[in-house]
Amino acid sequence: MRRVVVTGMGVVSPIGNGVAAFLAALEAGRSGVRRLEAPFTPRLATRIAATAELDAPSHFPAPKLRMLDRVSQLALVAAAEALTQAGDALGGVDPEEAGVFVGTGMGGSATTDEGYRRLYDEGCDRLKPFSVLMAMTNAASSWIGLEHGMRGPNLTYSTACSSSAVAIGEAARRIAGGEAEVMVAGGAEAPLTFGTLKAWEALKTLASEDAEDPAASCKPFARDRSGLVLGEGAAMVVLEERERALARGVTPVAELCGYGLASDATHITRPSVEGQARAMRLALRSAKMAPAEIGYVNAHGTGTQANDAVETAAIREVFGAHASNLAVSSTKSMHGHLLGAAGALEFVAALLALREGMIPPTMNLRHPDPECDLDYVPNASRRSRGMAAAMSNSFAFGGTNAVLVARAC
Amino acid sequence: MSTLDRIAHLLQRDFDIPPDALQPGATLESLEIDSLRLIEIFFCIEDELGVQVPGEPGELRGRITTLGDLAAYIDEVAQGAGKVAALAVPPPAAGATSD
Repeated sequence: MRRVVVTGMGVVSPIGNGVAAFLAALEAGRSGVRRLEAPFTPRLATRIAATAELDAPSHFPAPKLRMLDRVSQLALVAAAEALTQAGDALGGVDPEEAGVFVGTGMGGSATTDEGYRRLYDEGCDRLKPFSVLMAMTNAASSWIGLEHGMRGPNLTYSTACSSSAVAIGEAARRIAGGEAEVMVAGGAEAPLTFGTLKAWEALKTLASEDAEDPAASCKPFARDRSGLVLGEGAAMVVLEERERALARGVTPVAELCGYGLASDATHITRPSVEGQARAMRLALRSAKMAPAEIGYVNAHGTGTQANDAVETAAIREVFGAHASNLAVSSTKSMHGHLLGAAGALEFVAALLALREGMIPPTMNLRHPDPECDLDYVPNASRRSRGMAAAMSNSFAFGGTNAVLVARAC
Repeated sequence: MSTLDRIAHLLQRDFDIPPDALQPGATLESLEIDSLRLIEIFFCIEDELGVQVPGEPGELRGRITTLGDLAAYIDEVAQGAGKVAALAVPPPAAGATSD
């Protein structure tokens, strides 16, 4: 199997657009969670979310913008940054060997939501002509392929909250197996619409607003955690075959050396220690790595009662005695839960931790939970020299667990 | 303002087409208006000019090749709609329709 490296990263997130801004926010422990300002806010029981700021008209001409749901806008901006950072990754590559894999849970939900509002609320009998093209789940990956002339495999993965970790892992497999030379892979999600927020509200998994500081409402691994905070954004990476990347003189961000995929098949929402642990073990096995080689785990760490305790138990099971030496953090405490884009954004956070020697914190962890007894890097980032490898966990409703492992180059 | 002027204004404002290019003889092709874009333009014209554009762009492309053709077609549609409105008769009673 060929070795796969990451040569570019791109981010649009609630805590900053661009990798540099994202890194600075992670290091400073800055939160992107805020109270939503939307006409429908008064009708929400949970009024907080992690919103991304995107000046779309500065990125897209008006005629094109009208064809792009927010999810595609976010995806395109992140992909462009990743490709720019990767240098001339597409130069000299047969376009048929350059592909795009994107993960998204909801697709163009703003278009769907707005369409239903016009139909049912306004009684309007016609929808915008591009409604189908904007809402279709594969719009974001299709637009990236179109924009950059990438004519190889173009796929969209939708496995809820692990979608983009799956997209990245599967993209790496295409390169490792010789089926592609360059892949743009990642995820995008724009779920902050009235309909989607209401559906999540009904599921009773959203965090209640912190009375003193709405920005501190997401409290992964804390005893007073009350749920997840929905977020929006996109993150993309450029993956290449290692020798090719080195030959064109770029310094890879890291090697993507491990990918584990395991399904629970036990319950549609309830997480399973066995399934999560199996995904981590499979990722380590494909990386040919011992657990002790991992220095940092970017946890799935949603901030729900169920996930954080189960994930802690799964990490303990996989890492054994090394679990106590391991730095584990949930950056969702800052950027919220980006659902289908979460895996990609958090993989970028893990890559940055590895490259910069900076472990991002779990913010808002003031009250430890006896059931969550790992080193979660509480409330402040930490320097860490000489880290060899990092892991990023992504688990999902539906039970598809995906884990990525990266090794320092 | 003529229909042509109104459409030209709309294309300039919403579709970023430079005003110099918006001549009556300019072909839709030269303005990079394909059938998908034409659907959207019809949608905007319906909003802006308050007319209902019947027909499918694929069929209409045969008869609409220039911006002038497009304006003439919209005028035709608007006049047709006006006639229909002027001649409007009450709909048949419910019982008159067959099951």
